[in-house]
Amino acid sequence: MTYFLPCLYAFIASFAFAVVFNIKKNKLLFSALGGFVGQLTFALFQLIISNDVVLYLFATIAISLYAEIMARLTSSPTTIYLAVALIPLVPGGGMYYTMLDFINGEIDLAISTGVHTLLISGALAMGIILVSSSVTLTRKVMLKRRHLKEKRESA
Amino acid sequence: MTISQLSHVAMEMGVILLSNGAETYRVEESMHRICLALGAQEAEIFCVPTTIIISITMDDTAPLTQTRRIHTRITDLTKVDEINHLSRKICYEAIPYDDLISEIGRINAAPSYPYVLQVLAFAFISQMFTLFFGGNLQDSCIGFVIGIATKLLMDLMGRLETNSFFINMIGGAIAALVAVTASGLGLTTQMNTIIIGSIMTLVPGLVITNAIRDIIAGDYLSGLTKGVEALLIAAAIAAGVAVPLSLLRPFWGG
Repeated sequence: MTYFLPCLYAFIASFAFAVVFNIKKNKLLFSALGGFVGQLTFALFQLIISNDVVLYLFATIAISLYAEIMARLTSSPTTIYLAVALIPLVPGGGMYYTMLDFINGEIDLAISTGVHTLLISGALAMGIILVSSSVTLTRKVMLKRRHLKEKRESA
Repeated sequence: MTISQLSHVAMEMGVILLSNGAETYRVEESMHRICLALGAQEAEIFCVPTTIIISITMDDTAPLTQTRRIHTRITDLTKVDEINHLSRKICYEAIPYDDLISEIGRINAAPSYPYVLQVLAFAFISQMFTLFFGGNLQDSCIGFVIGIATKLLMDLMGRLETNSFFINMIGGAIAALVAVTASGLGLTTQMNTIIIGSIMTLVPGLVITNAIRDIIAGDYLSGLTKGVEALLIAAAIAAGVAVPLSLLRPFWGG
């Protein structure tokens, strides 16, 4: 239950964010489901991996995959699913504690928290880049293969 | 379709895409596709988050170049989705000019969710993230109140045409102000959780996503601009939160 509840919260929060982004009614639920998927991946991998930067990377890969698949299925822009699902993973806590350490005058602590937050942001970017690039690559390879096949058949 | 009609259609669709939160590469790609489908010989499109430049070449006429400056950018992904859909439809079937213009007008005029629902959405985001980061039910109710207050005040500032940097600063300040006050009155022991949960409403999720996707697509100019925008917004939120925290904590503790 301690693992499941955050997923539920992330789902409702993503749903509300989808309303703020004004996503149409029939895509609302699916875009919100992305937040759930991300948090579920995070919670599941938490059982075997202790490094949270890696956890964020895996969660981002999961939501990017989900977003790319949903975008192909509904023929909509990937952003609709990706932006909403990404928000629960954005390191708001790290940002806040960095600032808190700074105003408490603990510069060393602030820098280490800040670098950690930056690493998490980097993990988010890497996750999106990995999935998006591999999807484009796969599509290109498939198109080329189809093209070659047609050429061979016509020859 | 004449060259000026073509340029008008492509430009209108591009403007709607760009001002409602589409990635830059999507705007360029869609406009290029539209131009070629509608009969242009060549089309060059340059797009950054604030400007679109389009240059079209057609048979028998002089090339036409048009520029449009984008002043306000909001987030309405339904419009992005529908314009994207329309641009694909143009490639498959011939649609007369008047129908295209009326369809674009319909998409652009489509209403967003009612205002009450938007305010409630902000409240729920704030409440859910407070729970998400480990708050209890009472903390989350404070988060709910902060969500409503943030949305109302930010819209008021938006109507007065304040810049987004300052709006986010005020948003962060409200979150911290209410949370510190609640903590001072003894309503909660988890001030930090409430603040983190509440500032998640302000986090520029779409800007971050678009920045990364633009950089992947090779649009470094737009990607960097949006990346800097996201960083500035984050800094503004942190600055806004820092003010009430450092001013009020000496009086109330916490």
